[in-house]
Formats: sequence, C-alpha cells, structure tokens
Amino acid sequence: MDANKLISISAYAGRLLLESGAETYRVEESMVRICHAFGAKDAQSFVTPTGIMVSLMDEGQNFATVSRIQNRGVDLNRIDLVNDLCRSIQQKQLTIDEFDEQLHEIAAMKRYNFPTTVFFAALGAGGFAFFFGGNWYDAAAAFFTGMAIKVISILMERFEINSFFNMGISACAAELLSLIFIQFSSDMNHSVIIISSIMLLVPGLAITNAVRDIVAGDYLSGMARAMEAFLVAIAIAIGTGIVYSIWIKTMGGMLL
Amino acid sequence: MIVIILSSFVASFGFGIIFNIKGKKLVAAAVAGCLGSVVYTLLMNHGEAEPVCMLLASISFSVFSEVFARLYHTPVTTFVICALIPLVPGKGMYMTMQEVVAGNTNGALQEGLATLSNAGGLALGIIAVSSLTRLFFRYKSIHKKHLLENQ
Repeated sequence: MDANKLISISAYAGRLLLESGAETYRVEESMVRICHAFGAKDAQSFVTPTGIMVSLMDEGQNFATVSRIQNRGVDLNRIDLVNDLCRSIQQKQLTIDEFDEQLHEIAAMKRYNFPTTVFFAALGAGGFAFFFGGNWYDAAAAFFTGMAIKVISILMERFEINSFFNMGISACAAELLSLIFIQFSSDMNHSVIIISSIMLLVPGLAITNAVRDIVAGDYLSGMARAMEAFLVAIAIAIGTGIVYSIWIKTMGGMLL
Repeated sequence: MIVIILSSFVASFGFGIIFNIKGKKLVAAAVAGCLGSVVYTLLMNHGEAEPVCMLLASISFSVFSEVFARLYHTPVTTFVICALIPLVPGKGMYMTMQEVVAGNTNGALQEGLATLSNAGGLALGIIAVSSLTRLFFRYKSIHKKHLLENQ
C-alpha cells in the first residue's frame, strides 16, 4: 500500500463530496472508509465546510494532508455517484488506480447545460406563482423574472463573486423586474410575482445541511451553515428592500 | 387542490434540474415536494396553526425521502432538499421586509416572528425524522450483533 497516494486520493474524494454540497458526516465517513478499504489500519478525518483534514497511520509512520475548499456548489448527482463508489470498493475489488480513474470520470461528468437549467428554473418560478395563488399573468411574469435572475446568478457564480452579494444583486433584479411587469397589467399581483421568483434564491441546501449536521453532532459545520442560510436570507431581503423603497420614494403611489 | 399538486410538482422538478439530479430520482424528488405541499395545504385548509402545518408537512416528506433513499440507494438529501423548497417561508421573509421598509416595526416583528417559527417547524420535522431513522438503524445493528453473539 502506498500511503501517500492513498491519502491524497481520499482527500480528493472528500473534496469532490464537500464541493458538491454533501453533509459533513458523509464526507468524513467516506474518506475513512476509503482508507480502510485500501488497507490503512488507523485513519481519522476532520471536516468543516471550508476545509478537510485527513490522517492515517501506516507501518509506524503518520501521514496527514489538509485540503482547503474555496468554492461550494450544489451537485446532488455527483454526491450520489461518489457515495456509491466509496461503498462499492470492496464488493467490486477495485484497485487504487481504478478507483482514482473512476473518481476523475465522475469529476468530469457534465451537468445539465446552461439553457436547460435556466429554462427549468424559470418553469419552477412559474409553478410557484400558481402555488401562491396567482393567475396566468403572474405565472408568465414570474417565468421571465425567474429566467432573468437565474441567468444573473449563474453568470456571477462563474466570476466567483461571493454568494451574499450574488443573492443581493439577483434579488434587486427580481424586485425591479416585477415592479416593471406590474405596470403593464392590472391583473398582476406584485407580491405573488416577487415571492415566486425569489424562491429560486432560497438557501435550501444550506438549511437542510445545517439541520442534518446538527443532528449528526457536527455542531461546528451545522452552525456555520445555519449562519450561511441566515445571511443569504438577509441578503435577499436587503436586495429587494433597497429597490422597493427607492421605487416607492421616486414613483410614489404608482405601486399600490 | 389539483393546481397545488401540479404547481408544486413543477417547482420541485425545476429545482431538481438546478441541483443536477438525474433519472428516476428526479421524479421521486418532485413527488416528495408535491407530498409536502399537499399535506401543508390540506392542514391549512383544515384551520391548523401554520407552524404545526409546517412541522407535519416536513415530517411527511422526510419520511418519504428516507424510504426512497433506501430504495434508490442514494443520499437522503437528494430528495429532502427539493421537497423542502416549496415550504421555505419566502413569503414571510418578503412580508417582513415590506413592513420594515414601510417603517412599521410592530408589523415587521409580527411577520418576522411568524416566519421564524415557520422555519423552526420545518427544521424540527427534518430533525425528528432523521434522528428517529438513526435510532432505528442503530437499534437494528445492535440487535443483529446480539443475535450473532447468541448463536
């Protein structure tokens, strides 16, 4: 067993999981499982949302590695595949090179492409309009607003702008667009349009993972993620609030 | 009711695509979102308090997610995240902001507290189900070990 190789591969697997939005205990367990499956006796790992530490003991020598996580996205398909792969090492009798190769295959897998993502995000926003009791006009307006803010937030993600600023700007755009839309038709309900489109920005992953981390006993990551969810919610409120109050101040009674 | 079912299905499906879920798991995630919203709406129409509706709805979709995660051999979060989204109190958040902008502190506090308690109900449902599942599987593995030792 090559301990150096093993530890770097297991840190890589942990990195893939954490960057795709896996829970803390899943990342820790998977890395330890990989080390054990390839013959390391004593392996430990410590994971926070911003970094990974793994160590293992082999023939009286200690090996350790640290991996810093900069960008975190959401890719549930990747979590699923890496998780499956880690569990099947012993069943399939994989060698360490085969395992590494399959990890890189998973990392290179494509997501849904840009137009598909934007279209379904917009469709989701349209669905929410009906969910919140809107009519077809509201749904159409929410569809286009949702499309616009998804394009904006994906573009800003590509430039690696921090998520609070990203959400704030997207929320500004959503509020502005919905205020413009309601000028065209009196059948539209302003709050339905804006609520259904900002649902696209809601930090669903952060909430779920915060709760699941706390249940699993990882208080550090749980609190960090709860804080993230809370700050994103504040960013959305501030983004919509700024545009809303400026619009009321300058346009006066045109809104209501 | 049909409107609620269809709209929440479409919304959760859209989120499944954003979060990159593939194949039949995508459909199951959308159904989970559908289930949560239907339970929530039914209870709201029945006149229950909103946090209670949130709690029961989140318990229902969490149980569904735990079961389907075992069936499809996939992490539970795949389904929970999509199912959670329609119930997140975005509406309350927005209303709070509106009250703040209008300078109405009482209204803002009222809406803010309602939003927080709704979010709390939602989180509590997920906590309850995932803790109970852990307990159940812990018990099962201890039981199995016990049986092996006795043989």
